[in-house]
Amino acid sequence: MIRRSGAAAALSAAAIAILAAACSAPGSSSGGSGGSGSGGSTGAASGPIKIAVVDAQSGSSSDLGQFEWRGVKLAVDQVNKAGGIDGRKIQLTLFDDQGDPTVGTELARKIASEGFTAMLGTAESSVTLAMAPILQAEHIPNITSGQSTKLLKLGSPYLFLNGPTGLTYDSTLAKYLVQTKGYKKFALLTNNDSYGAGEDSAFTSSLKSLGITPVAAEVVPADQTNMTPQLNTIRSRNPQVLFIGAEEAQSGLTVKQARSLGMTAVIAEGAPAGTPLFLSTAGVANADGTIVSSPYLGNGVDAASKAFAAAYTAAYGTAPELHGAKAYDGAEVMISALKACHACTGLALASAVRAVHRTGLLGTFAYDSQGVGIFSTSIGIIKNGTIEPVSS
Amino acid sequence: MNRLFAARRPLGLAALAIVAWVLPYRLNVYWISVADTALLFALLAVGLGLVMGIAGQVNLAQVAFFGVGAYGVGILTTAHGFGFWLAALLAMVAAVCAGLVVGLPALRVQSHYLGIVTLGLAVAFLDWVTNAPVTGGDSGLSGIPTPPLFGVGLSSQYLYYYLELIVLAAGLAFGYFVVRTSLGRRLRAMRDDALAAGAAGAEIRVLRMIAFVLASVYGGAAGVLYAGLIHYIAPETFSIADMFLLLAMVIIGGRQSLWGCVVGAIGLTVAQQELINLAAYAQLGYGMLVVAVVVFAPTGLAGVPSRVRRWRLRRWSGISAAALGSFSGVPSSGRTGAVLEVSGLVMRFRGVIALDRVSLRAEPGEILGIVGPNGSGKTTLFNVISGLYRPSGGRVDLDGRVISGSRPWRISHHGVARTFQHLRLFGNLTVLDNVRMAMDRTRSWWSWRYVFWPVGVWRHERELSRQAGAVLDAFGLAAFAGALPHSLPYGIQRRVEIARAMASAPRLLLLDEPAAGLNGDEQRQLAEIVRAIRASGVTVVLIEHNMGLVMSLCDRVVVLDSGAVIASGVPASVAAQPAVLEAYLGTTTLPSEAS
Amino acid sequence: MQSFFQTLVSGLSFGAVYSLIALGFSLVYRTMGLVNFAHGAVLMTGAYLASTFYLSARLPFAVAVPAAVLATGVVGLLIERVLRPLESKDVDLMLIGTIGAGTVLEAVAILIWTSSGRGVPSPVRAAPLDVGGVRIPVYNLVVIAVAAVTMVLLTLFLQRTKRGAAMQAVAMDPEAATAVGIHVGRSNAVAFAIGAGLAALAGSLASPMLFVSPTMGDSLGIQGFAAAILGGFGSIPGAIVGGLGIGVIGSFAAQWFQGYSDLVTFVVFTVLVMVRPTGVFGEKTVNRA
Repeated sequence: MIRRSGAAAALSAAAIAILAAACSAPGSSSGGSGGSGSGGSTGAASGPIKIAVVDAQSGSSSDLGQFEWRGVKLAVDQVNKAGGIDGRKIQLTLFDDQGDPTVGTELARKIASEGFTAMLGTAESSVTLAMAPILQAEHIPNITSGQSTKLLKLGSPYLFLNGPTGLTYDSTLAKYLVQTKGYKKFALLTNNDSYGAGEDSAFTSSLKSLGITPVAAEVVPADQTNMTPQLNTIRSRNPQVLFIGAEEAQSGLTVKQARSLGMTAVIAEGAPAGTPLFLSTAGVANADGTIVSSPYLGNGVDAASKAFAAAYTAAYGTAPELHGAKAYDGAEVMISALKACHACTGLALASAVRAVHRTGLLGTFAYDSQGVGIFSTSIGIIKNGTIEPVSS
Repeated sequence: MNRLFAARRPLGLAALAIVAWVLPYRLNVYWISVADTALLFALLAVGLGLVMGIAGQVNLAQVAFFGVGAYGVGILTTAHGFGFWLAALLAMVAAVCAGLVVGLPALRVQSHYLGIVTLGLAVAFLDWVTNAPVTGGDSGLSGIPTPPLFGVGLSSQYLYYYLELIVLAAGLAFGYFVVRTSLGRRLRAMRDDALAAGAAGAEIRVLRMIAFVLASVYGGAAGVLYAGLIHYIAPETFSIADMFLLLAMVIIGGRQSLWGCVVGAIGLTVAQQELINLAAYAQLGYGMLVVAVVVFAPTGLAGVPSRVRRWRLRRWSGISAAALGSFSGVPSSGRTGAVLEVSGLVMRFRGVIALDRVSLRAEPGEILGIVGPNGSGKTTLFNVISGLYRPSGGRVDLDGRVISGSRPWRISHHGVARTFQHLRLFGNLTVLDNVRMAMDRTRSWWSWRYVFWPVGVWRHERELSRQAGAVLDAFGLAAFAGALPHSLPYGIQRRVEIARAMASAPRLLLLDEPAAGLNGDEQRQLAEIVRAIRASGVTVVLIEHNMGLVMSLCDRVVVLDSGAVIASGVPASVAAQPAVLEAYLGTTTLPSEAS
Repeated sequence: MQSFFQTLVSGLSFGAVYSLIALGFSLVYRTMGLVNFAHGAVLMTGAYLASTFYLSARLPFAVAVPAAVLATGVVGLLIERVLRPLESKDVDLMLIGTIGAGTVLEAVAILIWTSSGRGVPSPVRAAPLDVGGVRIPVYNLVVIAVAAVTMVLLTLFLQRTKRGAAMQAVAMDPEAATAVGIHVGRSNAVAFAIGAGLAALAGSLASPMLFVSPTMGDSLGIQGFAAAILGGFGSIPGAIVGGLGIGVIGSFAAQWFQGYSDLVTFVVFTVLVMVRPTGVFGEKTVNRA
């Protein structure tokens, strides 16, 4: 039991400490919010330009994070080799968000406190959604690889997408399937994470605008690896097309399991279906004939993508895919903006990003007020493990 | 408690308070957010420490309570436009409801069964928040408002730190208040030995629910604060991996110490932030650390000082057998002895008949001996009388009132106390606490005072300590009040168990082989104690193998064989009956040799 | 009806895998009293080894799996050595200690194989059987058959061999077993190694149906543990029934409740455990005072 006199002494000591502490507010003198002055125009004139890359480097989505990091690093290495921006190099720092939005919020504060000029990433909409309000409050422009339409609803002037929204992917895909190919019976299998849920609503509404209601719409948990119960239901409705809205590995597994049940429906999907992980998981034979909607169909489509693929392969020893290309484009946009405004920061940099007008790997970037810069995708078909563009 | 520690404690607390208070002045924006997260985990860990470390209930759904609190605030503020604090209050109610639901299986299962069930419920909760539209699914809920306090919005991470600090301090203070007093003593007794705790009057089922409710209150509060801090919630935060991290915090810190839980939580949160970019190696190191702590320091960091202390206690008790005082009479309880009437009692286990229509009677002021070969059903009889078993047939009456089929705690409250064949003292409670626990005759609902009338708890506690001191004095155990039972010689432990039984002021005392393992001197002292108990008016029923003791001590003897009464009467006449001799010789063990 | 049987088939195939996992849990628990939460991570290790032998070393699947089972058994011996001090500890410590060991295995797997995971092509390329409209992938039949044979062999081992009988004796009464000259430590190590081998078998059989990744053992481990409890913890027929039960419940929950399948599965599980805490084949235990 606590002795009374001791307790009293402790209380009075604590009271003194409180009084002493109350004289000034903590945080006002030390720490502070780094170099991100509100709406500042020009950053410190010397030293490197600090850019944070936030992507999952561990956990189930670390593949994506790896791809993104490589794409960004390639772009930055190229500009640094060419002398940087107004003689200043860009210094990249990689942060691992573990695919966890809460870790993301902590990283957003860390980025702010360490005076980063801008941020590239993340690969997951849910993490970006969590970080965006903090980055907005700290005036840090962010080009994300997320594609959820929820990102636009935030209305942050500091948030930009490095590719089209999910709706663009899915409406292009739906139009091709319905209008060009004439399919009528669609089934959807989506997972329950924010990507899958976004795909579910985007593809359903795209079909609806074409006057079609899907015959089945099944949902699987995002960490589930056995999709057969849901596929059973879908098989019993006998659809012509199976649309999948899930990340790479789960999409690949779905295709493999659908084929092992003897399902012959055409597989259609957004960006994940164009990736090597999808192909290796599904198996080349099973993936054959999959119809993909993507802004980046492959490495040999045009001169820009060939040059990018060559540089990427030289740097990393493997060929790039969509995520690397998207991240590369995002980094290029940021670099262009920094060049145009002479390494400014804050709102000025955000305005500079919005003013960027350049042709990249995914198409021509021209940002609207919501932060979307690319508004179209292309359709491809997987044949023998590679995507072949469909002339539309 | 140890005087040295008690004297040093307030100074340490004051120093800690000052450090915690000025800490934000030394932290930048990022580290203050880490500190904010660490304090939340500390609150969460204290809740887990209470349910697992103090009450011994495996709870792998603590992260779900955290989630219910956070989502409660998130949903009510964003979708229904409630103010933050009203939403917080309702979220706390929801968290307590979740605590009751998760606690429900604890009434039926324990140990690893409870582990997997609570883990399953945590998975179920995670699944629900990932799918339900109301929780925003996988992308979560954003735009949760900042809690206002006295008209000031706590949007600053620094101000929020103080809010959390105050809540944590209050949570710790309340936690220690619970642990050190009546309720916590019962919880700890239940953790050490649920069976003995029940027989000593603890309502095990209610206590288990209380433990889960306590955990859910801390979890819910942490969740509410989390929602107000981050303004954004998503399912990943409440994942099973986070549950295991929380568990590691509690185990590494020391689950039986609330301070240990706090230290573990803060330590691991900071370490996790430091190592965030080395994920795989950090994971490797973390896993190895957990294994090492469990193997080499199972009581965690907080256990290190107490291990040292225990080592000192043991040394101190090595010379202490001589400190055993003489027995100086049973403190009068003001209660009179009760008539025990057992009639036609049958107990079957999967077709095996352990008790076969046993009838017997014990009067106030009488010592009834129960003898019989091993396996004859003596202990089973005690277990039925004290409520551990529900009889298959027949009944047990106490003063004409049916007690058979009631739960142990109720029978204890009717005035039945017992000791056990194999000592069942509460191993991690001091001798004083063992006695105080049994002496505490309040019902569990009495615990409302903890929230609404803490002064009442203090008063009750003072009274308990006074009476318990008297019991220890009477039994000559005052010198061992602060010792843990296992540090004492066996004979003294036996006496502590009798003192504990008598602390509940029983009307009927059941002694199961009280002389087992005692030397001649101790047996004489035991006989003296039992006679004094009889003299105080208490009815005594005693199982004993030592025939010499039975003959000299008991007023009457009942002989059991294969679950049936084969003889009864005054000791001398019973010992002469041929059936009794046959029963004993048949077992090849002579009664006087058995111990 | 066709859809019902189709889901049943899928539930039974995965149920066979859960049975193997539950069997490992139960064998280790009844022999040495250890509740091994690292079992899922051991399974993951086995799956990675099998897929490495199969994909990288290009061994036939029928060779890669037994090789992985043996290799994981050896890893199991190592882990048992580390966990030995936990065997006598209370359940909280066992829980977190074995979880810690599982974390170490996962971290090692990430360092060796990265965290991205890999798909394993099915070793059976035949088209699915069509039984009255119900499609049965041939590989699933292989899995069920291998699981059944394994269980028969394990039962024979425990009942007909000297080593097995010794393990049974240790399970019933370690002190008495020591008295008759059985080396309890060695017996425990063998039991753990067999448990690890069973986990590896489950993992490598499941990998062509699922996806091999460092976290694959998390949910499989939880499901397998639930299966063991449902059947009666420590019972071999219980592990089989519990595994099939969890597989079928999970399948129908997934089909009928979609994303909410985990919620439904575990709520049903909780209710079943509360109704019958000892499981289908569990021993009814009696308080001893």
